[in-house]
Amino acid sequence: MVETISDQLNYVLDQFETNVPHVEATAIVSTDGLVIASRLPSGVDEERIGAMGAAILSISHRSGEELERGEMKRVLIEGDQGYIMIRSVGVDAVLVALVGNRVKLGMLFYECKRCVERLSAIL
Amino acid sequence: MADIHKTVLERDLNPYHSFLASFFAGLAEMGMLNQGSINIVSKRAAEYLFAYLEAKDILPDLTQYAESPESERVEAVIDYLNSILSLMGGYHLEQTGPNQLALLIAGKQCRICPKGVGGAAIEGTFCPIPNFIESLVNRITGEETLDLITPGIEKEGSTCKAVYQLS
Repeated sequence: MVETISDQLNYVLDQFETNVPHVEATAIVSTDGLVIASRLPSGVDEERIGAMGAAILSISHRSGEELERGEMKRVLIEGDQGYIMIRSVGVDAVLVALVGNRVKLGMLFYECKRCVERLSAIL
Repeated sequence: MADIHKTVLERDLNPYHSFLASFFAGLAEMGMLNQGSINIVSKRAAEYLFAYLEAKDILPDLTQYAESPESERVEAVIDYLNSILSLMGGYHLEQTGPNQLALLIAGKQCRICPKGVGGAAIEGTFCPIPNFIESLVNRITGEETLDLITPGIEKEGSTCKAVYQLS
């Protein structure tokens, strides 16, 4: 049976969450802020995650250019209760992950890079 | 500036159109607004406009449409909204399937387009109208009359299209 793109994306997100303990939610959104696929716990607003994730990445890209910091690699927001990790997936999509504060950041960065490569191959 | 002058005259813009469209455009160019966020913001704006219409006691009277098809009631609300907000110079509602209604706006008829009027140099679509109309029609009719199917606006040639499911 041929898997849909949606199935493939969900599988990759699933693997990412399995490989990195403390990942609580993930979403792939288009650069215009619309959700393509997501694995979110109840109570997390999918529409807001999509809009804000894409906007944060876009502002970061723009800031990197304006302030001459070169190509932006990732955005990591640190809060009291955890992290928000955002990365480009090719030119048209964005990966957003909500992660607990007990995560090992090295593992998060490594797996995130692999996840983005897999997602890019699908999209 | 020549193009802006042409757009102002061609689309018969008022000062608020220019302000809104260029304001949205500037925020989008800075990366602060995208289609996803303008969808959310549009719903919020619809709530405020509904409260405004209530406060002024100028909500449209829909009693004459009680026995009419849903599409006629929706058209009456959109006509009313456009008469007070002047969002579009013209538009067309088309039945696109069973219980589906498409709002079609010819490219040069939209007066608040962040790209066409506000000059936003961005990729993709960026339109506040589909979600704004959905939310406000639902508030005014008091039920979930419209459910937006398209993620925002879709381009068909030079026409912009939003498709809704009727309840």
